[in-house]
Order: sequence, then C-alpha cells, then structure tokens
Amino acid sequence: MGLFIEDYKVSGADTVALEDSIMQKGKQVTAGSRILDNFTSPFNATVVDRLLDGGFKISGRTVMDEFGLLKLSRDDDNTPSGALRAVSEGISAYALCNDLFGRYRGEAPKNDCCYIHPTYGTVSRYGLIPLASSMDQIGIVCKDLSQGFKLLSHLAGKDPKDGAMFPDSSYNYGTTDEKITLGVPRSVVEKADEGTREAIMDFIKEFSSTDINLEYFDLYNQVMYILSSAEISSNLSRYDGIKFGYRASGYTNIDDLYIKTRSEGFGLDAKLTAIMGAMILSKDQYGPYYEKAMKIRRLIKESVKFDTYKVIVLPCRISDDPYENLALYSLAPLAGLPSVSFSYKGHGIQLVAGVKKENLLLSTWEVSMA
Amino acid sequence: MKYETVMGLEVHVELATKSKLFCACSTEFGSDINENVCPVCAGMPGTSLMVNKKAVELAIAAGLLTNSEISPRITFDKKNYFYPDLPSGYQLTQLYSPICKNGWVEIETDAGKKKINLVQIHLEEDAGKLIHDDWTDTTLIDFNRAAVPLIEIVTRPDFRSAEEVVAFLEKLRSLLSFADVSDCKMQEGSMRCDLNLSVREKGTEKLGTRTEIKNMNSLKAIAAAIAYESQRHIDALETGDEVLIQETRRWDDSIGATFSMRDKEDATDYRVFPNPDIMPVFIDDEWIDAVGSNLPETAQDKFIRLTQGLGLPEYDSEIITRSKNLSNIFDETLKHFNNPKEVANWIIVELLSIAKGDNKGEDDVRIDCRKFAKLIELVDGRTINRNVGKKILSLILEEGIDPVEYAEKNKLGMINDTSLITSTIQEVLSENPKALEEYRGGSKKVHGFFVGQIMRKLGGKANPQIVNKLLVEALKEI
Repeated sequence: MGLFIEDYKVSGADTVALEDSIMQKGKQVTAGSRILDNFTSPFNATVVDRLLDGGFKISGRTVMDEFGLLKLSRDDDNTPSGALRAVSEGISAYALCNDLFGRYRGEAPKNDCCYIHPTYGTVSRYGLIPLASSMDQIGIVCKDLSQGFKLLSHLAGKDPKDGAMFPDSSYNYGTTDEKITLGVPRSVVEKADEGTREAIMDFIKEFSSTDINLEYFDLYNQVMYILSSAEISSNLSRYDGIKFGYRASGYTNIDDLYIKTRSEGFGLDAKLTAIMGAMILSKDQYGPYYEKAMKIRRLIKESVKFDTYKVIVLPCRISDDPYENLALYSLAPLAGLPSVSFSYKGHGIQLVAGVKKENLLLSTWEVSMA
Repeated sequence: MKYETVMGLEVHVELATKSKLFCACSTEFGSDINENVCPVCAGMPGTSLMVNKKAVELAIAAGLLTNSEISPRITFDKKNYFYPDLPSGYQLTQLYSPICKNGWVEIETDAGKKKINLVQIHLEEDAGKLIHDDWTDTTLIDFNRAAVPLIEIVTRPDFRSAEEVVAFLEKLRSLLSFADVSDCKMQEGSMRCDLNLSVREKGTEKLGTRTEIKNMNSLKAIAAAIAYESQRHIDALETGDEVLIQETRRWDDSIGATFSMRDKEDATDYRVFPNPDIMPVFIDDEWIDAVGSNLPETAQDKFIRLTQGLGLPEYDSEIITRSKNLSNIFDETLKHFNNPKEVANWIIVELLSIAKGDNKGEDDVRIDCRKFAKLIELVDGRTINRNVGKKILSLILEEGIDPVEYAEKNKLGMINDTSLITSTIQEVLSENPKALEEYRGGSKKVHGFFVGQIMRKLGGKANPQIVNKLLVEALKEI
C-alpha cells in the first residue's frame, strides 16, 4: 500500500502531511473508509488554514486505518501508518493526525519519530473527521519535539468554529524553569520488557522522581473502549448513504438502503465498533456500561493530581495484546491531558503532564536529550 | 357508566430566531428548497456546533411566561435513530437537563379557571422535510428546517376535555407569540402538538391504556381527534370488540379518524447520551432577569391597557389582543393617529373583512401602518367619506398607494357643496318618476334607492349626512 493518497510533491523543512481524516477544501477526504468514497470536502480544517497562514506547505494526504479505529483483530499488521512513514522516511517534515488509540504514540519511537498529543481543547478540531468527540485531538508526528512544538504554536489557540476549546487565543511553547519531578508508576513500568525498564530507569536518573500508583490503571482500557465505542457508533451514524459518501445500489426500500450501504461501506472495525457502541448505549446496558464508565472516567481524572509529581513516565508497550497496551494510551484522551512519546536509548517512552502543561513535557525531553 | 378522558400534551414550538440552533443558517420559512443548509446542519463530519444564544433566551422567556424553574446549567444530548430527514443520524435534544422544569399555565373554560402543570420545556433541533413524488416514486429531502430551534413543552396529564386542551393551546399561543418567542402558526408547522389520551371510569384512579395521537394541524382537528379517540376508547371498553393497545396513532383530518401508525416507534431504543461536542451553557440569575425585563407586554396586560387605559370596549380589545399581529398594527397605527376607538374600528370592521375576503387570518394581514393612520385621519376629518375610504384601504393593501396623494390626485375629496347636491337630488327625482310614485304610496324603501342614485352621480364622494338631510327635505316638499 502506498504512503500517500495524494502526493503534492513538495519537500523541505516546512512540509506537513495530513492524515486523510483532516478536511482540505476541494479534496477527496475519506478517513480511510469506503463509506466516504466520493466525498469531497467543502471546507478547510482550521489547522489547514493555520498551516497555510504560517507559511507551511501541505506535502500530501496519507493513508490511514479506517477512521483511525482500534484494531483489536489484527496486531500482526506491522506496517506503520502513512503519516508516520511520511515523517520517518523524510518525505515530509511533519504530519498531523488524530491518535485516539495510541497507534502513532506507540509507533513513533520505533520509527525514530516523536509524537505530540496536545491538551484537549487547545487545537481546533473543526474539519477533523470525528471519532470519539470527547477525546479527539489533532497531534503532530515530528522528528524532534522542539521543532514539533514550534509547529504546534502555529496551530493551537481558540477557534470560534470549535465549541469545545479553552479561551486562550495562543500558546507559548518553550522550556520552563519549573522544577520537574517525575512520577513513576512502578507496577506499570514493570510490565514492560527489560530493555524498556532499563531505559526508563536511566531516564529518571536525570530528574528527581517519585513512585506513584496509577489508580484504576486496570480499568483504563475498559473505560476507554466503552466510552469511545459509544461515541464512535453515534458519530458513524451520519454515514447512511443519503446525503454524501458511498451509497449502495440495488436497494428496495429505506432500511435496505441503510443496511446495504453500511454493510458495503464500512470495514470490519467500524462495524464492530458501531454495534458495540449501540449495545453500550441501549436501554438495558446504559447504566452498567456507559454511565459506570463515565463515573470511572471522572475518578480517573481526579486521581491524577500532579501534586507531588509533575510528569508521569510510561512505557510505550507492556504486552503483545493490543487491548492491554491501550491502557497506556488511554490516560491522555480520557483526562484531556497532553502527552509526548519519543525514543530514549532505543526504547519508547511516553510522558504525560497536567492540562496545558506542554512546556513541562518539552523541558523534560530537552534535559534527557542533553 | 360515566367515563373520564385523561390527556397530556407535547407541544413543539419553533423558536423565532433568525438562525438555526447550532449554525448561522437562516430559519426563514418559504425559502427555496435546501437554500438554508451548510456543512454543519447537513451533518457533515468535522463540523462543530455553537449554541444559538437567542434560542436559549427565547426558551428562558418561555419558561418565565409559564412560571417554570430555569435550570442554571444546561447540556444537550444525542438521540440516535436513522431517518432520512435527520442529517447526522441523531437529534440534539435535552433529556438529562431540560432548560425549564415544573411550570404551569392557567386556563379558563366555561367550567372555570384551572392550572395545567408542565413537566418540562426543553430545547431541541427540528428535522428536515421529506417530499414524496408519487409520479416518479421517489423521495427527496429539504433540509431547510433541519436544526431549526424548537422547544418542546410537555404537560402533565391534567386535561379532562377538548375545551381545556384548546384553551391551553390558545393561551400558549398568546403567551409565546406576544413575547416574540414564536409565531405559533399551526398551519405552517411552527406549532405542532401530539396528544396522549386514555379513558377511565370516572372516580377511579388507575389510568386506562394510553394512545398517542399525531398529525393534528389545527385546533379544530385537535378537538375532532379528541372526540373521535375518546369515543373509540369508550366503545372498546364497553363492547370489548377491540382491545386497546398502547400505540401511536395518526389523525386523518379528511376522513375524521385516527389510524394506527404501526411503526416500530414504541420499540425504538433511542440510545440517548450526553453530547460531548457542546459545552454546558450556564444560565445565571442576571441573564434570567435581563430576559425577563425585556419581555414585551402580554396579551392580558395589553387587554387591560386597551380597556382601562384607552377606554376601548371589551369586545374590540378582545379581538385586537387575540393576535400579536393585530395588536402590533393597532399600536403602530395609533402612534401616527391617536384615536383608539377609530383605529380599533377600522381594524376590526374594515381591515379584517378585507383580509377574510382574501382568505387571510388575523396573523397574516400586513399593512403600512403610517398610510393606514393617514387614511383613518382623512375619513375622521371628513376629507373623504367612509366608502371612498374603504376603496382606498384596498388600494393601500394591494398597491401600497399613499392615501393623501391618491385622494388629491383623483379628486376624491368629499363633496359638501349643498347647491351641487340639491341640484343632483332634483335630477334624480325627476329621472325616476316611478320610484317617486312608490314613495308617495308610502314606501320608505325607495329612500335608500334615491341615496344610491345621488351618490353614483356624484362619484360616491358626496357627504352622506348632507345628502340625507337634503333628500329628506326635498321629499317632504313633494
């Protein structure tokens, strides 16, 4: 499979590749799904406008997993996603994407790249094809975090077209003098392979650190899966063959149109998620699943206080099971926190900080690279 | 055996905002098909929703007018179902935190005054409209109405008669239209209502099997549907020929009966959950007070002002305050010609009869009030007579003419010249010897005939009082 759906054949230090979930006026935008086969975007995503205003060039539109959904079924697919390859192979300086389930955060270090997942509500999602609206966040694949944050400063800041944003009109990303204490969740780190464990031990030596217990960690992936499935199933319902996108032929009535269109248009992961989400939101399951997961989500948010520690250190892989690894990537989206991932001594490390505390992440990274 | 009908209402009222609930598209009625549609209200992916502040304010106003509690924090929920008129596959509504709760409205029927309690009022978005073309057997969709803001007013099952239901809807229409919350036009669909009805033996507590009736587009239809459906329930209870089931039924106005919709609606699981895309809206007391202090006069206040302040008869005041439009015309015209009795008279007698002839309701009459005032002044000051005035009124409505200019240009000024009128009377009398004979024979009817003839000769412009007086004198001399 190629890297680009569309390659604009530009190169240089100011090039940005767009994952196919980001709207570009007049371009075909499919989010990697057949259901959006013939969909042409009537508008630019705000991040696209801001890139162009900032003098950046769009290098192309990259292939992606259908809607960026969680692939529980096929972890044997080791091909990195298009946005990551664009940067890792040096074709584009940056790439923008929506990494809900941690695919990019996990793969970036292995491909000599870094990933920035900004605080929820700091980068406009106007023009991002929604997955789970309460967690979606456009992030940056880059070679170097300090460069990545420079790009982020062009993108972040309130957009009147996105209703769920902080009021700040811009953000100043840079290093900070604030004292950094790392929080290290031993029980999680211990699950990582030996090399990663050693790398993390080396990494924290350079800072003051404290052992922490991530409460509810064993529920992270479950809460993430339940809430994201519910939101995604609702967000996928607009793809019905009526107004835009793919429509099956040879239907006999309206229900048949829906069924054929969605059966032919969606891939396996989209179908599984739509069905799972509908079940979770159904009358009998709403209380035991959705409502309970919402409560735990609040508890998770409240449990990470960033009081005795400022930055949480996590590995990028703890298991061969993608569902177990999902726990590592759930904290940031569930609590709306910023995170970065990068390679340290050949192993993937992930850092998570408090709301709008991106500068702590950048500072930590810079110290470790020095 | 005596039966009692127990009813509750769900009333949908389209809010009179200029733009839709979550985007800037116009809400204008009667636009070209799909003229008022943008990526947001077409449900395209990647769009984001902004709550229309005006819609929230109008819902607050509705809450204040119905004595409701206003919620300090409101959110929107997603109600998921597939239907082609619903662009995103979910309707945004308020299940978990409705904007108003526990209100009540007082109604008055022949049986006296009664409080109707409201469960809640919530904000939600409307859906598009399906247009079926039988000729080509296709269905097309007009999304102009999609995401137009609505409030749904849900009452408790407090109604016991059709009179009460109609009185409630009329009161609601008056309250909401006078406050500019909605124009509440049932024909245009800006006020729609669904009815829940059950029948039980009088004196018993337990409610009977409930049916929901939809598709009633006028107060008349609602009253007829209640009569029909109550009887159907009573027949079923008495004869046992039909087993009542809880279902949704459609009123067919042309047939005058309800029919089971046989849809899966009652079995549909709407999977409602909080919409994470829209931040909560906070409503503080300051905001509520601001909305409250800006509320226009209610029909009731206006009635008191008209009767007690301006000294208009209750009958006239009742007609004028029945319609927001008429009372606006009244107030506006009064600004230009301060004679309440005459203005009321011209609205009730002349304006409404022309409107009726044109098949327009009191809410649909439109007139330039400045010109209307000038016209009334011309007649009141005896510059033109009333019949000429009526003709000019039609011309104002049809062509927008200026009454003063028109009367001057066409020399419509009233003829008060007694010698001209006297000579015209003589002409008419001598030209109609047969009628004169009848008059001598004692027929008083011919008096009117003579007046008509005289007026015709004078182009309808003669001062009717003078004509009358001089004609009586002339006839006496014969």
